[in-house]
Amino acid sequence: MSTIVLKTLFIKEIRRFSKVWLQTVLSPLVTTSLYFLVFGVALGSRLREISGVPYIQFVVPGLVMMTMIRDSFLNTSSSLFQSKINGTITDILVAPIGAFEMLLAYVGAAMIRAIIVGTLVYLVALTFTWFPLHHIGWTVFFTIFVTATLAMLGIVAALWAERFDHLAIFPNFVLLPLAFLGGVFYSIDLLPEPWNTISRFNPGGRAGFVLGASRSHQRVAAQWLQLAKLVIMGGQA
Amino acid sequence: MKPPVLRCRHVTKRYGKFTALEDLSLEVYEGEIFALLGPNGAGKSTLIHCITGLAKQTKGSIEVLGFDTRRDFRTTRRLVGLVPQEINYDPFFTPLESLMIQMGLMGVEPSRERAEGLLKTFALDEKRDAYTRTLSGGMKRRLLVAKSLVHDPRLLFLDEPTAGVDVELRQELWQEVEQLRAAGTTIVLTTHYIEEAEQLADRVGILHKGELLLVESRESLLERHGGRALEDIYLELIRKADGRHVA
Ligand SMILES: Nc1ncnc2c1ncn2[C@@H]1O[C@H](COP(=O)(O)OP(=O)(O)OP(=O)(O)O)[C@@H](O)[C@H]1O
Ligand SMILES: [Mg+2]
Repeated sequence: MSTIVLKTLFIKEIRRFSKVWLQTVLSPLVTTSLYFLVFGVALGSRLREISGVPYIQFVVPGLVMMTMIRDSFLNTSSSLFQSKINGTITDILVAPIGAFEMLLAYVGAAMIRAIIVGTLVYLVALTFTWFPLHHIGWTVFFTIFVTATLAMLGIVAALWAERFDHLAIFPNFVLLPLAFLGGVFYSIDLLPEPWNTISRFNPGGRAGFVLGASRSHQRVAAQWLQLAKLVIMGGQA
Repeated sequence: MKPPVLRCRHVTKRYGKFTALEDLSLEVYEGEIFALLGPNGAGKSTLIHCITGLAKQTKGSIEVLGFDTRRDFRTTRRLVGLVPQEINYDPFFTPLESLMIQMGLMGVEPSRERAEGLLKTFALDEKRDAYTRTLSGGMKRRLLVAKSLVHDPRLLFLDEPTAGVDVELRQELWQEVEQLRAAGTTIVLTTHYIEEAEQLADRVGILHKGELLLVESRESLLERHGGRALEDIYLELIRKADGRHVA
């Protein structure tokens, strides 16, 4: 296995999104800052507390997670889809690189983007409210797990898509509803049935929940096990 | 005799029910220029794609210098270069960057000097830092040729490299091809300008609906047909084959 090839593809992917940083880095930052302003500051001052946490703090982990989910998916899907459409995928297909290394490079670069943007969103959040990370281990684990999974999903989407609007299906029809129904902006305990039950099966919300978990370790562990089970069993089916 | 640089054995390629290549066997020898001719849709690009890694043959095996293109793909892909038929370019990178990246992708240490040398060879040095999008069609195609050479391939495929390139540059490109051959590169090209093949090729293969109608050295082919132009010979063969298929 040649490390030059892998390194080149990885760096190429990173350079690709850094060249268009206005769109790939700054724009998600602006979007989430708006969410903070509207939901956190404006509405939050009236909503006071959810699950014993000030509302503005409550929305932080969900927003960070939502951004990372979106960006890791968008990075692989748009990069691969573009090269499929404009033909530059040829350059990679003729290269002495195997499928696994290709996956590594694309997923790795997408994770880097998601983590950079996620960190920036977190830093923006800190300017609005104090939000310490209590479970560094879980935060790191979930960041890696979620960004890697979504980056791979982005690859699948790009290979499957035939038109640009196919790519928008996931962010618009899956991610956004999941974020809104998954407890990013409120506790799912507040939802009436059947949405409450449905929302409990929403892994995006759970991931966000775990990021924000600062209280009950045990509940976190149980939630995580459930999610892991869901993913592993889903992967085998 | 040296072993062939390229050996295709009983290669069949199907897209669903459609057969693009049917039981095709072909050998190409070191240092020759081989012209693959055939009408639109004959399967020329399909064959090239199976050899270079863009497609996988349904049946049969392909070897480059004795290495199997499926099993030893890491080796064969370093030996092979491709100028694809369709112009492609990455809007994110300049010609200089594209060349440097392609070196890395092909497994050679990126070298700015080498990249600049290639840009000069293909008269692109003025455009080296331009957005690739802003290059003219012919310039983009020359960049493709430059990209295919970054790793000094032993076997180079040129899939219609002169489509849309002006006369002067076409001549220059073919000179470049001759030089590459002189330096030991084996070349397989496709073109719809039959007279180009007649000038350049040592051997000619004519492909029609996925089958090779003929593989012969240019000299014996021309001699056999009493000095007629290759284009006439080609047209006659294709028409005869079409008749056969219609019947
Ligand atoms: N991905 C694909 N899926 C289905 N059919 C394909 C695919 N690629 C090629 N074909 C078909 O295979 C046949 C051979 O195509 P190919 O591109 O090899 O022709 P060609 O000889 O290169 O023609 P041209 O001179 O026009 O470039 C055509 O009928 C084409 O439609
Ligand atoms: Mg073709």
